[in-house]
This record gives sequence, structure tokens and C-alpha cells, in this order.
Amino acid sequence: MDRIQGVKDSRNPVSGQNPRTPESLNPAVMARGLVRTYRRGAEKIQALKGIDLDIKRGEFVGVVGHSGAGKTTFLNLVGLMDRPTAGRLEVLGTDVTRRGVRLDALRRKNIGFVFQEFYLMPTLTATENVLLPTMWGKANGEWRMANGDSRGAGQRAMELLKLVGLGHRLTHKPSELSGGEMQRVAVARALINRPRLLLADEPTGNLDTTTRDGILNLLLALNRDSGLTVMVATHDLSLESRFTRVIRLEDGNVA
Amino acid sequence: MIWFSLAFKNLVRRKTRSILTVAGVAIAIAVLYSLFQFQQGYQSQLKGELGALGAQVMVVPKGCPYEAATIALHGGKWPRYMDEGLLDKVKANPGVLEAAGVIMDAVFAPGNKNVILLGIDEDYMKLRPAWRINGHWFDSDSAVIMGSTAAQDAGVKTGDYWVVPEKNVRLHVVGVLNRTNTQDDGFVFMPRKTLQKMSGLEGKLVLILVKARQVEKTDALVASLKASEVDMNVFPLSELLGTISSLMASTRVFVSAIILIAVILGGVGVLNTVLMAVFERTREIGMMKAMGGSRGDVFKLVWAETILTTVLGGVAGVILALISSRLVEAFIRGMIPYAPKGSLIGFSLPTMAMCVGLSLVLGLVAGFYPAFRAASVKPVEAIKAE
Repeated sequence: MDRIQGVKDSRNPVSGQNPRTPESLNPAVMARGLVRTYRRGAEKIQALKGIDLDIKRGEFVGVVGHSGAGKTTFLNLVGLMDRPTAGRLEVLGTDVTRRGVRLDALRRKNIGFVFQEFYLMPTLTATENVLLPTMWGKANGEWRMANGDSRGAGQRAMELLKLVGLGHRLTHKPSELSGGEMQRVAVARALINRPRLLLADEPTGNLDTTTRDGILNLLLALNRDSGLTVMVATHDLSLESRFTRVIRLEDGNVA
Repeated sequence: MIWFSLAFKNLVRRKTRSILTVAGVAIAIAVLYSLFQFQQGYQSQLKGELGALGAQVMVVPKGCPYEAATIALHGGKWPRYMDEGLLDKVKANPGVLEAAGVIMDAVFAPGNKNVILLGIDEDYMKLRPAWRINGHWFDSDSAVIMGSTAAQDAGVKTGDYWVVPEKNVRLHVVGVLNRTNTQDDGFVFMPRKTLQKMSGLEGKLVLILVKARQVEKTDALVASLKASEVDMNVFPLSELLGTISSLMASTRVFVSAIILIAVILGGVGVLNTVLMAVFERTREIGMMKAMGGSRGDVFKLVWAETILTTVLGGVAGVILALISSRLVEAFIRGMIPYAPKGSLIGFSLPTMAMCVGLSLVLGLVAGFYPAFRAASVKPVEAIKAE
């Protein structure tokens, strides 16, 4: 259905998804017998031993467990950064275990990542860091959103930085920002391409308690206000109460 | 372009390393530019100098003909002379249109400046139709005509008196040549007899310049001159040009090999640096991929960085070559027996384009493997790597 000129965009400001489209009826993530095995020298390590679970759209999911439980492996599979050894995985209705699926393009369009270590480019300003994911996949190198949004990407980057509370830090470089501020930039960066799934791997692992709460509140607000599906991996069991749903991983299995 | 601005920022981030890498390429390209331009300049300047002699054939005393050529072109003291009587024999040859006998000497002016003295007569003037004398021809045995640069160096003008250094002979400056842009600008001309007497070389000549009646019959003229007299060395200037040129051409292989090695070394240096940078930035590259960057995107970025490095190096190399041209020229001149006067390493757009083009190719080649390595980084492993 074409949108009518002059009518305000009914899509969500963060995720850009329309809650009434039929695709929103698919679960955000569907895993069946998901196995991931690594080789470390001669040793075979089974990081995930056959996970079955569904994550509905709009959930705010905590993936908790001790280190080595398989949280990061699970997030990497859901985030399309890795392929499972066995089992079936559907992300936002696409079977990503099928051969020939281009993971990078899917990832660019649908998934936002936030890491424990922020991974901001030290040479770029906060705004430029947020814009970075918009330059991939273009032949001529320009800031343009993966979903083909015609609005200026720069404008959106600034709006997102304001949204995460960094409207006064647009031109600062990472070295001039605090840990909490850097993580906020990383969150804004994860949102620039209007993802439908936001994944955060230990996003508060490097932050003090106050800053940690600030980031969690931000993620919660994004989930609550825009229906964005958010998955947070953490080993901090005290955070469990913040999530709408908790998936507990133990030794590669859902506990 | 954002790609290049991002690549540039990455270079600036590792300032010292980038500067050193760019410098490596710059030096290689500077060597390339200098040697290439030197070869080109050498050829054209040599042609110009030989043309300025206004003759097709040179007759010199027995001895090394290249030494003789150097003396003929640049002037100087040469302890070999021939008898003035040979001049008449040469003039008598029916193939000769003009023949000018020249005697030369060199003295040191205060400040250790070499002053080249040429003893000539009207015959020499006939070989120099382009001469414009500010003043007039010799009117006495103590008259002197100066080349424009020589007059400037001596600080004299037409009408002044000039004392020949070392000889302490006072001469009357009857004329100063307008600038000819040839070796003549640096010479001091006086009647042949005057110089012969002053230098104790009465009845001697250093060189006879011969203009053929028919240029296309120069070879026959040379043959007949050679046959007529055994005490002199006769050779056509075209042959001299050919011999010196082929001498230079044989060095070209050697020079090209040096350039090739310099450029390859520069390329290996760039490859090594970029590869190290890729290894160091494994996690950052992993992050780019996690943010949706494809293999091609990462490849392009690393490639752009390498190309930027080498092209910057290429441009810097050309600038370096132009700045250091005098120094390099002086160095090369010291290494080879004969080099024309004048600036040999000059501004040349085609050579510049070639140098920058080569540095671009260098970047394309040297950057390929590091870019491939970067593109192959798996995001998961990269982000795990400590």
C-alpha cells in the first residue's frame, strides 16, 4: 500500500516497522535444535547443544548465564555474524541456515549490535560513528540508510544522539567521551539503519552501576516506546528483574 | 568521498608510521623521477649544445675524443694542441664551407671562479649567425668580447677595461653578447693571436670547427679530412651525439634496474605496513562487519588506505625530486664523465603523470593482499580476539 503524501509517517521512529503488517506475526527469532560447535586445536567444544526457543517481536529479553554458558555464541547466531553447525534458525521470518543467504546485507538492514567494548572508531566524531553503518554496501560511498530512507542520514544520526541523551556531544571524538557516553553512541549507531532487532552483548560490563542503569533504562525505553525487539546478554544476575523475559543458558542448553 | 576521508583518517591516526611509509614511497618515486628526467634532459640538452656549435665536424688533436668534446662544449685547459698550419689544410678541402680555429685557456678569477678564454677570429663569427654583439667586433689586439654571463660575473660592460686574472693583462671590452642560452654565454672571446701570446701557445690550436658545404656529404668530408692529415682527430658531431647517447642508453638498463628495485622495496614496505595495520585492527574490522559491512566494503576501505598512501608518496616524491634536483644533478654529474650544462632535472608533466600513475599501480598491487586479508576477517572471531 502506498503511503499518502502529506500524511505523517505512521512507522515507528526508531525501528521503522509498522505493527500492523503481517510479517510482524512471525516470531523475531525461532531456533530449533540449534547447535554450534567450535574446534580449539584437537578439542571439540560444543558451545550450544541444541537450543529450542521462540522470541516474539517486541520482547525485551535477557539472555543470562555464567561466562561460557553460550550467551555470546547464541547472540552471534541470532545477529547473523556466525552460522550454526546444525539446527534451524529463523530470524525475522528468514531461514538463515539456508545456503546462499547473504548474511551481511540482512544484518545491515535488520540488526543493530551493541558490544561490551563499544568499538567506536577513534578517528570519527560521535555523529560520524553513528553514521558508519550507513556507508556500507554503497558503490559511491555516501551516508545513506540501508533501508533506503530518503531523509538525510546525518539528520537522523543527530536525532538518535539526542534520543540517547547526547545532543550536546555530536562532534566529540570517543576519547572525549565517558564510558557511558561511548555506549550511548554505540546504541545510537546500532539504531541508525532502523533495525528490527537490537542485540546487546554485555553492554554494561564495562560500566559502573549508575551508568549501567542508565544504559539499561535506555534499552528498555527503546523497547517500550517503539516496540523494538531487544536481546541483552549478561552474566549480571541482578539485572534479571529488568527484562520482560529471561532466557537462562547453562552449559550450552536452555536451563 | 567518505571512503577516502575515512581511509585518510585512519592514516592520520598512525601518524609516524604513515609518514614513514609515505616517505619510503616518496624516495623511490623521487629517484624514479630524477633519473628519468635526467636521461631525458641529458639527451635534449646535449643535442642543443652540439647544435649551438654551428658546425658538423670537429677537428681536435689526437687524444680521447670525448675529452676533446667536453673541452669543445664547455671550454677548459687541455694539454694537447695541434699546429695552426692544419687550419689552412682543412680550409683547403673543397668540402669545407667554413672552418674556425680556436685556442682555449682557463684561468681562475678571484673567488675560485673558472673563466674560460677563447681565442677566435672572424671565421668563428660565421658559425654564429645568431650572435648579437652589444658593441662591436675586435678592433685591436687588446679587445675582448664577453658572453653575457661572463660579463655579469666579471662586473663589466661594453667600454670598460678588464684585467685577465692570473695573466695581469688589461683588455678593452668592445662588446658584450646578448644572451644566447648556449655555452657561449659563459665564455670570454678575444683575438686568437692575443690569447696564443698570453698563454705562450703561439701557432697552436685546440680545436677546429668545420661547417660542411653540403651537410648530407658530411661523412665524405670526414673521410677526406682524415685521409689528408694523420696528426688530428676528425669526427662528425652527429657521431659524437650518437656515441654519448648510446653510452647513456647502456646505463639506462642499469638505472632502470635500480629504479625497479627502489619501487619494489617501496611497495613491499607499504604492503608490510598495511598488513600490520590490518592485524592490529582485526577487532575494528570485525565491528565494521558486525555493523553490516560486507567483504567488499572492508576490502575497499583497506585498498583505499593503501592507494592513498602510495599516491601521497608519489606526489611527495615528485615534489622531493624537484626540490632536490640541483643536488641530485650535481651528484650524477660527479659520477659521469660528461654532462651538458643547464638544468637537466626539470618540470615535466608527462614524467610527473607517469610517477603518480606508477604510485597508484603500486598501491593497487601492494594493497591487494592486505585488503583481501581484512575482507576475510570473520566478525565473530575478530570480536573474540583479545
